[in-house]
Amino acid sequence: MAHLSPDRLADSALGIDDPLTAAEQNHLASCAECRNELGELSRIAHLGRQPEHVAPQLVPTDAIWQSIQVQLASQATAPATTEPSAEPPPSAPTIAELPRRTPRLRSWFLVAAAAVFGLIIGAGITTVVVRDRVEVASSTSLEPLPGQTGQGTAELLRDRGRPELRVQIDAPPSPDRYREVWLINTDGQRMYPLGVLPDDGRATYPLPPALAGQLEGFNIVDVSIEPYDGNPAHSRESQVRGVLPT
Amino acid sequence: MTHSSYARIVAVPGRVRVISVVDDARREPEVVGEHTDWGAATEAELSIGFARGDEACLHEVFRRLAPLIYTIAYRALDSSSDGEEITQDVFVSAWRARDNYQVEKGSLSGWLIGITRHRIADRQRARGRDLRLVQAVTNTTDVQGQPETLSTLIDRIVLTEEIGRLPHPRGSILQLAFWEGRSYPQIAEQLDLPLGTVKSHARRALRHLRTQLAEVTSWPT
Repeated sequence: MAHLSPDRLADSALGIDDPLTAAEQNHLASCAECRNELGELSRIAHLGRQPEHVAPQLVPTDAIWQSIQVQLASQATAPATTEPSAEPPPSAPTIAELPRRTPRLRSWFLVAAAAVFGLIIGAGITTVVVRDRVEVASSTSLEPLPGQTGQGTAELLRDRGRPELRVQIDAPPSPDRYREVWLINTDGQRMYPLGVLPDDGRATYPLPPALAGQLEGFNIVDVSIEPYDGNPAHSRESQVRGVLPT
Repeated sequence: MTHSSYARIVAVPGRVRVISVVDDARREPEVVGEHTDWGAATEAELSIGFARGDEACLHEVFRRLAPLIYTIAYRALDSSSDGEEITQDVFVSAWRARDNYQVEKGSLSGWLIGITRHRIADRQRARGRDLRLVQAVTNTTDVQGQPETLSTLIDRIVLTEEIGRLPHPRGSILQLAFWEGRSYPQIAEQLDLPLGTVKSHARRALRHLRTQLAEVTSWPT
């Protein structure tokens, strides 16, 4: 017999009307084309009954969009060597895959916020003060992020040539959480955790030696509020932030 | 189709015109659409603008498709932060690789979903490594039921979106049948439509879903 009509196939997949006749079933048994079509329609009818809704109001699109803009802008101004010259097609799973790091990256979000708030407000002053062989190479004020309170300063020190970051903030700690100090790169890709900030808001941290020179782009000083969850990644909740001038 | 076609975007302050030159031999431009901004553009026009590298167009594509991409990544990885990272990564990657997107080969949403699929698979593989490491450290083995495949999850999310977008009464009929388990006679009574009409709409809607799903999954993976 001829192929089953599209309506009959759809009826069968939807469970509408008469069940397939013996002749139709015989045809199906011998016709891979009709069988495949019925299989796919039935699969869709089955999956369609298990909705998985998209809730646009739950998606933080503004924050993601800002991050995208920062990333695209930083790429546009980056040296040519970092510009991907030949992007593989989407069939290759490696396009712009972020290199894996520890702790896991959350920096894009921070940098996005930094681009919006920190870069504007964090215009610190570069001073060189010689004080017991400790130079203040540069400093910045730390300003609260929206919804946060607190104020502070961050100073890049050179103690006999070793780079250190001195942080002082005037903001109360949260009762069941702790604070951590980070240096974030303006490329939106990398960050270093410097350590836990004591409850009095004052601490000095040694920096990785490779940052002794010009901070290598790790200019954003960020103080995060961290839950006691054992997760080494940035919580993405920042209390204050500033940008050290280079 | 043997016609070659290309498009030209004409942007003047406050207005965007999308002009598609359909027939290369005739060289006669055919105006596909004219909009004060991309917000009113059709998906086909957005695809053209995207491929041409219009950044305002990227924003509109993001506005429309980011919730879908995010939901897929979020559900697949069960993590809102992974969902955000992957959404960001997909749009940045797609924008940089936009030269690889060919309008005539398929829908932009399908292309973006294809990239999303790879990002999620990468992340799942990495997690598999993490999990094996944890198991090695803690000397445990975890036997779980087979989880839903990524492809099936994506199909379900895309189908939910498509069913939600079907015009009335087709959308109402399928939603009542699929999501609320009503019988077709019940639906006919509720919507005050002849039973034959309801069934006919349901058949067409199912075939429409099949076409849309094929479109989205047509990009090579």
